[in-house]
Amino acid sequence: MIQGGLKKKSKPNSEIPSSSLADMAFLLLIFFMVSTTFPKEQPRRLPFPEAEQTKKVDEPRKNFLHVYLEKDGSVFINDRLVPMEEVSSVVAPLYEETDRKLVISLRADRDVPYRWVDLVQKEFQEARAVRVTFYTNLEQRVTRERR
Amino acid sequence: MAIFKKKQRVSGEIPTSSMADIAFLLLIFFLVTTVFDEEKGLSIVLPEPQSEIEVSQKNVLHLVVRPDGLVDVKRGESPSIQTAAPSDVETIWRTEYAQNQNLIAAVRTHPDAAYRNMIAVLDQLHKAGADKISLQILE
Repeated sequence: MIQGGLKKKSKPNSEIPSSSLADMAFLLLIFFMVSTTFPKEQPRRLPFPEAEQTKKVDEPRKNFLHVYLEKDGSVFINDRLVPMEEVSSVVAPLYEETDRKLVISLRADRDVPYRWVDLVQKEFQEARAVRVTFYTNLEQRVTRERR
Repeated sequence: MAIFKKKQRVSGEIPTSSMADIAFLLLIFFLVTTVFDEEKGLSIVLPEPQSEIEVSQKNVLHLVVRPDGLVDVKRGESPSIQTAAPSDVETIWRTEYAQNQNLIAAVRTHPDAAYRNMIAVLDQLHKAGADKISLQILE
């Protein structure tokens, strides 16, 4: 000590720096808060049909209209029961609102008799909303072969 | 001076040690409650109203979906009807399309047939790459 002069004793810090932890957490929090969109309607849980060719539809969310068709032929649009013959009058103003870019996602029960599907399609045609997606769940090949 | 008075020191800082915990708690809450609703399915474009196009019978492949889920296949003008399972529709379309590039698939579904039976046929047609599909109801 005397001959070598003053040597600085380096004290290694044994703690993990946690001062920026809160910043990181808030950053992530704000990201998720901003990117979360809450659906405007209550999703109805129906048994949807399965298809191997299920594809993601590349279209802005605001252009989508969900039309639910239940097993007894009742149609629900935006949480409201719409009588079959009034579907076109409900869809038509929405079609105009979206600059005629409306895509209808027809979410029908897989066991609904086809007569209702045909009627609802004719209503869409009447409202000139001709872009329709039949909502399906992806069918895995493996499960299909096992059946 | 026999009594020592305890000097109370007031901390001038807001405690920030639990801040990260609060933030993470909120973060995990939002992560868990976020549901991404995907828009998926089989897309099709319906014909415009009142736009009926006359198609020559020889360019039409009739697929009649029966209530029991089987498909009656009728090729254009030939009167013979072949009954097939929905899973065979892909091969049927491919062999027919190889012979006639102008082929149109006319899917006609019985009013009492379940929706999923029609979807099964439509799925096979999509798989086979068919783009001219007509959906009708069996009258």
